[in-house]
Amino acid sequence: MIEQTFQTPPERTGGALEGITVIELCGARGHFMGKLMGDMGARVIKIEPLGGAMERQIAPFMHDDPHPDRSLFFWAHNTSKESLEINIEAPEGQEVIKKLTATADVLLEDFEPGYLPSIGLSYEDLSYGNERLIMTSLTAFGQDGPYRDYKSTDLVALAMGGIMHSCGYDDLPGSPPIRPSGDHGNKIASHYGLMGTLAALFNRHFSGKGQYIDASVHEACNSTTEHALPTYLYEGENVFRQTGRHHSTTPTPKTLCKTADGRYLIVFQLFNNLNSWLSLVGWMAEAGMAEDLQEEKYKDMARGGSRGMRAATDTTDSDHAFEVVRRFIASQTSEDIYRGAQRLKFPWGQVRSPEENLFDPHFAEDRQMFADIPHPEIGEGVSIKYVGRPYRFTESPWDAFRAPLVGEHTKSILSNDIGYTEEDLNALATNGIISY
Amino acid sequence: MPEPQTLLRKGALEGVRVIDFSWIVAGPQCTRILGDFGADVIKIENDANMDYIRASRPVGGSRSPNRSPLFTTLNRNKRSLTLNVMHPRGMELIKDLIKKSDVIVENFSSRVLEKWGLGYEEQKKINPKIIYCSMSGFGHSGRDRDFVTWGPTAQAISGLTYMSGLPGEESAGWGFSYMDHTGGFYGTIAIMMALIHRNKTGKGQHLDLSQVESGIGLTGTAILDYTVNNRPFRRDEMPPGNRAPERGIAPHNTYPCKGEDRWCVIAVTSEDEWGNFVKAVGNPSWTTEERFESMRSRFENQDSLDELIAQWTINHTPHEVFEILQDAGVPAGAVQTPMERAEKDPQLKHRNFIAEIPHEELGKAKVESIPMRMSETPWKLERPSPLLGEHSAEIYTELLDVSPEELGTLYEEGIA
Repeated sequence: MIEQTFQTPPERTGGALEGITVIELCGARGHFMGKLMGDMGARVIKIEPLGGAMERQIAPFMHDDPHPDRSLFFWAHNTSKESLEINIEAPEGQEVIKKLTATADVLLEDFEPGYLPSIGLSYEDLSYGNERLIMTSLTAFGQDGPYRDYKSTDLVALAMGGIMHSCGYDDLPGSPPIRPSGDHGNKIASHYGLMGTLAALFNRHFSGKGQYIDASVHEACNSTTEHALPTYLYEGENVFRQTGRHHSTTPTPKTLCKTADGRYLIVFQLFNNLNSWLSLVGWMAEAGMAEDLQEEKYKDMARGGSRGMRAATDTTDSDHAFEVVRRFIASQTSEDIYRGAQRLKFPWGQVRSPEENLFDPHFAEDRQMFADIPHPEIGEGVSIKYVGRPYRFTESPWDAFRAPLVGEHTKSILSNDIGYTEEDLNALATNGIISY
Repeated sequence: MPEPQTLLRKGALEGVRVIDFSWIVAGPQCTRILGDFGADVIKIENDANMDYIRASRPVGGSRSPNRSPLFTTLNRNKRSLTLNVMHPRGMELIKDLIKKSDVIVENFSSRVLEKWGLGYEEQKKINPKIIYCSMSGFGHSGRDRDFVTWGPTAQAISGLTYMSGLPGEESAGWGFSYMDHTGGFYGTIAIMMALIHRNKTGKGQHLDLSQVESGIGLTGTAILDYTVNNRPFRRDEMPPGNRAPERGIAPHNTYPCKGEDRWCVIAVTSEDEWGNFVKAVGNPSWTTEERFESMRSRFENQDSLDELIAQWTINHTPHEVFEILQDAGVPAGAVQTPMERAEKDPQLKHRNFIAEIPHEELGKAKVESIPMRMSETPWKLERPSPLLGEHSAEIYTELLDVSPEELGTLYEEGIA
């Protein structure tokens, strides 16, 4: 059992969102919004039900020990937040939410449509007396429409949003469309919810007024499928999925190439640039593997650039060239091909597992993109390495602290922000509204 | 910047002017959202160097640069200015535009603006409050800053490609440039945060984005599982396909449906939902077997569970499964095709998801609307994607004080 430490969150200054207070009533659908705001300096108060948010039950756990304060899923998506553990089903809990939002800038929530209004916490209720409040509701399908009350999960969102239709295999008979793992339906929607929230904050600086934002995961996913909708809307054709590469209405050459060490590389744009092509063939020739690729006709293809390739109707030569290159790649290690090809300006990429980037000095050393975040509850001076900033600001740096323990800040928020006395707190605890 | 005002603003970012050097998908995705929120986005191109998505699958096979469906959806609500920055007068005009703008966006390789003599230090001399957002593959510093990326490259390096697939098989990856969309989102997010910061401090800044880094940020728990538990994501049972080992729930998968290559998804997240599911599929006897009696046992026996469920789904279309299960309170969905999303989905119709506006060459531009409703600053499709150079004359004469005589010269000399 981890001992509760009731920490004050670390003092941070200079973040782009410093001075903005966010009340977050979110689960897996929307918790990324609060994290991204908190990491840039906003004060984010996460409201959790008694016992802690459900996402604290999601694996993996630190040392595989299931405990609400040890879920790495929770850690990854809830840095830079304070935790207020309170029962908002009870009137006293609702009162606390009202008091907090009376002075807050933003409320983020991802309950089912109609739930917050049903307990007296609609935008009208909450913005009464604080017209500067911005409230962002992130729901599965939106606040109205025939699917409004339907249930969703990340898997459902990615299926209905058309993303899965584009992802999967064309060379594994009978295989299903694939959901890319990593909660991306929720993340796409959270990115949009956050963008709306930030736009509303900017707007408020000039208008003095907040607003209500009704954001939908369904629409967010549906607007994040690149060629799929434009191709249908203008050509009346459905794209189909192809292993490891872009959806298309016609089969395209496979871009996944296996290397000598059993890894994969994404290989494309062979003929995009004459100089790159000549250098590549030179490299292959040194290894005695250029075969017939030094012939003029291939140079002509590279001279045509991407436009030349598109104009070509007969792809026999390009398919052959790709096969020769594929054989060369199969004879080299993935690292050698990746770095060698990049030096020749080919946009080829190693198919890495995420953690392999911890050992890439460009990211780990030069760009310092992994952050050591203190975890004093585990031990004095203990820090854990996280994925760090997703962007680099020169004036208002990213700065994160670890996710809160369940209810870690219940007492400090109720006393310092609302002004409740020790007696008030005891009464709330006795009535089962808070737990400490 | 606009003065504080009490009148209804036309868009949340009204008064923000963006110089948009970006092209292909990632940059235009970023500036599209800025434009959707009401910023004045001025897209800079010229005849010799145009955004080459303009040439992507032009409708009718025409060689016109104004007929690409993907270009149309990515560039609505922007204005087009043709300007050659390689010409000294063109550079002067760009510098004048920088004085009158708030944000510069580009997604070239990492040294291009420096080579033009327009790096951040130079921009700052022209306009100290400028916010400069560069969106490159590897960022503007570090030993690999000159590496070249497209969306698929960034997805491969960051780990996202590897995370999508069936265990034991090659990577399925993403079927499109997810990191062009999402790299764009991070640009938009960073720019708006910097604008909020500037409202407070008066300071501009350089936002140095790396598409790969933004991608690594989306890999969920993979990094922490490694740094805390020393467990690599690259291991036998991973990636998890469509299952949910992290939640330990089942059924959670894709299931085959009636029709060629048609699929549905079902995700039962609680005992209540399991009860609803059993009823909805007609209480078949297998559901009472001991091996399916708890979430844990269903999870452990999900291979057989999935086979039994597939015997039910195969007799229904994806949308039948979706309706039957959702009406019973079970999270389920159809793997929707583009046709179904564009023409059938009643929810998307109800929310006016596909928006239309007249377009000079396409007749009608049809685009995906912004996926949210804002009560005070609602989204508007103000203008379709611009024809190449469509707004040059108005921008040169009204904003940059170019005389009508000089405008003629700019066109003649290929500067405009």
